[in-house]
Amino acid sequence: MSAKEKTHKEEKIINGKIDGQRVSSRVLEERIQNAIKEGARELYVIADGQHGIGGRIWPRGDHHNGTVHVKVEGPVGQRLGSMGMEGTEIIVHGSASDDVGWINCGSRITVLGDVTNGAHNAAAQGVLYVQGGAGARCDTLTKHNPRFAPPQSWYFRNVGDSFAEFKAGGISVICGVDPRNPDNILGYRPCVGMVGGVVYFRGPIRGYSAGDVRLAELTDEDWAWLTENMRPYLEAIDRKDYYRELTKNRNDWKKLVAHTPAEKNALKKKARTFSDFRVSAWDKEVGEGGIFAPYLDHERSLLPYITTGTERRNKPVWANGKYNPPCAYNCPTHIPTHKRTALIRQGKFVEALDLALEYSPLPATVCGQVCPNPCMQACTRGLYIDKPVDISALGALSLSLKAPKPAKKTGHKIAVIGGGPGGLSAAWQLALKGHTVDLYEEAAKLGGKLELCIPRERLPQAVLRKELERFQEIGVKVNLKNKIDNKKFEKIYKDHEAVIVACGAHAPRMIPFEGSADAAISAYDFLKGINAEKAPVLKKKHVVVIGAGNVGMDAACEAWRLGAESVTAVDVQKPAAFGKEMDAAAALGTKILWPKVTEKYDKKEKTIYFKDGSSLEASLVIVAIGETPITGFLPETIDRVKGSWVRVDETGRTTDPKVFAIGDATKPGLVTHAIGAGREVALRLHSELMHYDYMSEVTTPIPYGRVKTAYYERCVTETGEPEKDAARCLSCGSCRDCHMCENVCYWGAISRIEKPDGQFEYIVDADKCIGCGFCAGVCPCGIREMIENI
Amino acid sequence: MEPVKGKLDVNHELTLKEFPYIIQWRDDRCKRCGQCTAVCPVKAIVPDLRVDRVAGSEGPIPNPSVTRRVTQIVKQVHDIDRYCVGCAMCSLVCPNEAITPEFNPNHKFLFYKNRAGDAYKRGGRRNDPTPSTLDQLKFTRISMLTDPALDAGRHEFHLRTFLGRILPPESMPLKAENGMLVVDKNSDIFIPPVREIYPIMIGSMSVGALSPPMWEGLAMGVAYLNEELGMPVVMASGEGGMPPRLLKSRFFKYFILQIASGYFGWDEIVRALPDMVEDPAAIEIKYGQGAKPGDGGLLMSYKVLKLISEIRGVPMRVDLASPPTHQTKYSIEEAVAKMIQSMSMAWGFRVPVYPKISGTKTARAVLNNLARNPYAAALSIDGEDGGTGAAYNVSMDKMGHPIASNIRECYLDLVKQGKQNELPIIAAGGVGKKGNLAANVAALIMLGASAASIGKYVMQATADCLGDENNRCNLCNTGRCPRGITTQDPKLYRRLDSEKVAERLVDVFKAADVELKKIFAPMGRSTELPIGMSDGLSAGNEEIARKLGISYVC
Repeated sequence: MSAKEKTHKEEKIINGKIDGQRVSSRVLEERIQNAIKEGARELYVIADGQHGIGGRIWPRGDHHNGTVHVKVEGPVGQRLGSMGMEGTEIIVHGSASDDVGWINCGSRITVLGDVTNGAHNAAAQGVLYVQGGAGARCDTLTKHNPRFAPPQSWYFRNVGDSFAEFKAGGISVICGVDPRNPDNILGYRPCVGMVGGVVYFRGPIRGYSAGDVRLAELTDEDWAWLTENMRPYLEAIDRKDYYRELTKNRNDWKKLVAHTPAEKNALKKKARTFSDFRVSAWDKEVGEGGIFAPYLDHERSLLPYITTGTERRNKPVWANGKYNPPCAYNCPTHIPTHKRTALIRQGKFVEALDLALEYSPLPATVCGQVCPNPCMQACTRGLYIDKPVDISALGALSLSLKAPKPAKKTGHKIAVIGGGPGGLSAAWQLALKGHTVDLYEEAAKLGGKLELCIPRERLPQAVLRKELERFQEIGVKVNLKNKIDNKKFEKIYKDHEAVIVACGAHAPRMIPFEGSADAAISAYDFLKGINAEKAPVLKKKHVVVIGAGNVGMDAACEAWRLGAESVTAVDVQKPAAFGKEMDAAAALGTKILWPKVTEKYDKKEKTIYFKDGSSLEASLVIVAIGETPITGFLPETIDRVKGSWVRVDETGRTTDPKVFAIGDATKPGLVTHAIGAGREVALRLHSELMHYDYMSEVTTPIPYGRVKTAYYERCVTETGEPEKDAARCLSCGSCRDCHMCENVCYWGAISRIEKPDGQFEYIVDADKCIGCGFCAGVCPCGIREMIENI
Repeated sequence: MEPVKGKLDVNHELTLKEFPYIIQWRDDRCKRCGQCTAVCPVKAIVPDLRVDRVAGSEGPIPNPSVTRRVTQIVKQVHDIDRYCVGCAMCSLVCPNEAITPEFNPNHKFLFYKNRAGDAYKRGGRRNDPTPSTLDQLKFTRISMLTDPALDAGRHEFHLRTFLGRILPPESMPLKAENGMLVVDKNSDIFIPPVREIYPIMIGSMSVGALSPPMWEGLAMGVAYLNEELGMPVVMASGEGGMPPRLLKSRFFKYFILQIASGYFGWDEIVRALPDMVEDPAAIEIKYGQGAKPGDGGLLMSYKVLKLISEIRGVPMRVDLASPPTHQTKYSIEEAVAKMIQSMSMAWGFRVPVYPKISGTKTARAVLNNLARNPYAAALSIDGEDGGTGAAYNVSMDKMGHPIASNIRECYLDLVKQGKQNELPIIAAGGVGKKGNLAANVAALIMLGASAASIGKYVMQATADCLGDENNRCNLCNTGRCPRGITTQDPKLYRRLDSEKVAERLVDVFKAADVELKKIFAPMGRSTELPIGMSDGLSAGNEEIARKLGISYVC
C-alpha cells in the first residue's frame, strides 16, 4: 500500500493513478478490499478506466458491519459494481461503461450520467439508478430470487436495443425523459425470451417480443409502487423536480409483463385453426368443397378403418350352390350326390334315390355296376380325409325304383337313333318331359354295348334287364331290329322335329400286321360273341390282348374265364386301363407289357413277334384298340371328322341344325359320358322346343381348399351304409345348415331365415357386418365368399 | 408333371420364413372380432380353422379318450402375391394387442416376387436402411469466441433462397437516379424472373399418385404457411396436372407446375390461362426422377379412376406410363432450350422455368448447358434415395446417383465458372430419410444447393406413411394405401383428414425452421443461407470427406 494514501475516518481516497501512472484493475481492487478490511466505510475512488470498481464488498476488519459508500469519479471501466453486495452504495459522478451492476446481488448503484451496453445484466438484487440513458442489452437476464427483494433498474431517458432479453425477474423503469431516440424509448425488439418481472415505461415504443410479453396498463398496485419508489430515485439522480411530471398521469405509463405459461399456450392456440382456414380462406377462394369437389361424388367426411354397410371394402355372399361339388362336377352325367346325401340326412331316403332317375335311366346299371365312378375319384372326402362317399352303393340301391311319371304330352316328336346308353338317356329325358319319342335300334335288344359287349360278370343281366323294363314304362316308342340306312334316315328326318343320333361305335378297329388274319379277333367281336353265348374255347391256350385299355381288360378277364392258360396284354404306350377292370384283370394274373409294337404273327409257331425282337406264344390275339362309329346312313350334309365320327358343336348339334349326335358316335367315352351327353342334348332340345333359355347345372367345381376338412375326423368305422355315408359327405359347395357362420360372427351380423318355399338362407345384416371374412373362413362347405364391395 | 390326384399339399408352398414380415398372432388374446382380417390391405391374413386332437387317459390304467376341438384362428397366407407388407394395420385396429407383423431380416422375398415373370414393382424409395451420406455429415464449425455466434432463439433470421437466375451486377441494366442505383426498366436486357422462397420445397407428387385429401391437405398447408405464417413455401404439382379450381385461385402462386413427358392435364392448364389471377411460382420440366432414373412416370391402372381420368384426360383403369424422355427431344441443347422457351412463353417470361433431372454422372453436362442458357432458372437434381408412387424395384434399388456428391460436383463446376451465385441448384432424393430433415437440408445447402426438395418425408411426417427401407408397406403403386395417402379409392382415402395433413405440414415446416436456425446460428449465419459453406461441414469417413472436398474429423 502506498504511503501516500491516508485513511480518514470519513473518507478513504483511492486513486486510480499513482505518480501519474494508471494502476491496473487488479491493484485498484486490492486497495479497495484492503481499505474495507481496515475498516474504511467511505471510499472515494478516483478512477482511471479500471474495471469492476465497487463490487464484491462486504464489511470486514474491525467493524464488521455498516454501509460502505463508494463515490466514483473519473473515467470508469466496465462492470462497475459487478457482483455488488448488499450494504454497498455506489455513486458514479459521470457516465459509466458497459455492464454496470453485472450480477448485482444487492448494491445500490447510482450513475449520474449514462450507462452504455449491458447495464444490470443478470442482476438479481439491488438497485441501479441511471440519470441518463442506456445502451444495448440492458436489464437482460435479470432475476428475482424469492428470498430477496427483486432488483430495480431505473433509466431516466431511454434504453438501447435488445432490452430485457431473457429477463426472469426484477423491475425496470424507463422514464422516457428527453429520450435520445424519441420514437422508441425501449429500442429494437425488447423483451425477447423474457419470462418474469416487469418493465414500466413512459413514452413511445416500436414493438416488443409479443410471443414473450404483453403490453398492459398499470394497476393501482403498480402505480402505488412506482409513485412511491420514484421519489428516492429522483432524489438520488438529483432530478426531484421531475416528480410531478412523471407521476401526474398514470396513463402516460405502460408496462410489459411476461406471459404466464398458460398465456403462452393460449397464444399458440390463437393461431388460426385449420378448419377455420379451410372454410374461410381455402374453400372461399377455390370454391365450396375444395379443389377436387367437381370430381368427387362421395360424402366429404372421414371414415374409420373398420366400416360397415356400403363402406365395407369386402362383403360376404351366400354362394350356396354357385359351385358344383367335385362329385357332381366330375360325374359326366352330373348326378348331384350332395343333394342326395342331404336328403338322406333329412331322412328322405326314397327321394334321395329317386333323384338319380332325373339324371339317368340306368343308375343301378351304371353307377352301381359298370361305371368307374369319376364322382368318387374326385370326392373331397376321399382325397383329403379318408375314403370317398360310396356313390356306387347308392346307385345299386336305385334298382328297385319305380319309373317316374312323364309330363303332359307336348305334341313334339323326336327321333332317337340307337338304343344304347346315350340313346336311352336322351329318349328318357325327352319322354319324361312329355315329348313323343321314337327310338330305333338295330339289335334285337336295347342296351347297346351294355347288352352286347360288357361281360355279364361285370354287369348282371338281371340288373340291366330290370332297368330297361323301367325304361319301357315311360312310353318311348321302341323300334327294335331296325337298321337305319340313308333312305330310312331321310324318312325319320322328315317325320320328326329333331333327330338324335346315338348309334354308338360298332366297327372295331384292327391293326393290319403280317399274319393278323390267322389269329386276330377284335375285342368287340370277342365280347359280343360271349354275351351272345358263342364263346370260343380257350382251354390251355395262350392269349395276347393288343391294347391295354379297359376293354382290353374286360377281354382278358373273359379269356381267363374261358380257360386260357395265360393272358398277356400289350400296348404301344402306358396302359390306359384303370379302376375295376384293371384290378379284375390283374387279380386273374394278366401280365401287361409295354411298349410293344406288333410286327407279325406266325401261325405255325403260334407266336406273335414285336418290333423290339421279343415274342409271345399266342393261340388267340384279341385286338382291343377301340371301335369307330358306322355313320354311313347319315346324309352328306352332316359332317364327319377323322373318318366316321360325327362332328358336333359344344351343344351336341351336328352341321344339320335339326340333327344332334351324342356318345360314341361323336367320340369314344364311358357309358356315363353317353348318358350325360344324352341328357344334356335332350334338355337343350327341350328348352328350344319350349322356348326358354337353357341353363346348364354345370358351373365350376368348388376349389378343394374352400371345403373345410378340418371339421371331420378320419373315419374309423366301415363305410358303405348310405345313412352313414350321407353323414360323411362334406356337402361341398352346398350349405349343410350347421349355423357355424351365424355363431362365429362376432358382430352378430348373420341370421338364418326361412323362405316361403321352405328353403332357408343365412343372411347378412350389412349394417353390422365389417367384412372380416370369418364366416367364409369357417364355413364347412365353402358357401361363403368374400367379394369386393363395389 | 401330373400329380397324384388331390394328394399334393405343400410341395411348392413357400414357408413363412421366406416372407419379409411374419405375423405374430396370439391365440390367448384374440377374441375373433375379425377387425384385423377386415383391415388388412393385402389379405395377408385370413380366418381359418385349427384342429386340436388329444388322446388322453384318465385313471390308474391306460384308459384312452380322445378330445377333438376345432377353433378359429387368424392365419397368414403363404401366397407370395399376398405377402404381409408389415403395415401393422392389424395391430392398429386390434383391441387386444393380439396381432403384429414382425420384420424377418432373413427373408428371401426377391427370390420369389417375380411370379408370371412380372418384375417386382412397388412404391416407396430405395430399400437401404443404412444411413445416407447426408446423415453422415456433421456441422463442425461452431462459432463461440472466434466470431459472434448467433442465438437461434433471439436473432432474427431470414431463411430464404432464390429460385430463378440471378444476373451478375455487371450484366444488370442499372442506372443512377436521384443518387440511387435503380434497374433501368426501359433496357432491352432480359431480367430473368426470380422468386424468393423458403429453402425447403415440397417435391413433385402428382394428383393421382396422391389421393385427393393428401394432395389438397399439402396444398392447403402450403397456403397456410404462406398466408398465415409468412413462410414462402412452394410445392410442385407433379405431372398429373392440377385441378382448375386451384389454377384459377390466388393460391396458384405458391405452386410450381410440373410438365413431364406424359403431358397429362396440360390441356386443362392451358385452358385455364385466361382465368389465372396469379402466375405460378415456377415451372419444373421433368426429365428424370431420382427413384427411377431412365423411367418415366407410372400410374398403375388401379389408381386411374374417375377423378384421375378427368383431370388427366385419359380413359379409366388403364396403366398410365409416361415415356422415359420427352418425345420431341433430339439433343440437350435443342430439347432444354425448346422446353424452357415454350414454358416461359406461356406466362410471358414472368415465371422461372427449370429442368429436373435424376442424379447422374451426366448432371454436370446438363448444368453446363443450362449455365449458358439465359432463360434457365435453376437445375433440380433428384438423387437415388428419392421416392416414387410406382416403379420397378430394380430401378429404385439399383439405379441412380447419390445426391451429395452430385450436388457438390455441380456446385464446384459453377464455382469454377464464377456462376455459383447465378444459377441455383435444387437438391432432392432422400432428404430427411432418417428423419433429420433440417440437418440434411443444411448439409445440402452447405455442399452447394440453394434449396432442397422433399417428398417422402412429407408423406411420412404429415400423413403417417408407413413406408420404410425394410420394404415395409410400399403399396403406393397398388392403390391400396392403408393410410389413404396414395390411393384413389374413397373407402381408403376417406380415412385421411386433409386438415390434419395441412396442420402437420405446418408443424413440419415450423419445426424444421427452428432446427435450421439451430444449425446456422452457431455457424454465424442468419440473413444469408450458407450456400456452399463447406468449411462448416465434416465427415467421419475419409472417403466421403475427400470426395466432397470437406474436412475429415474423428
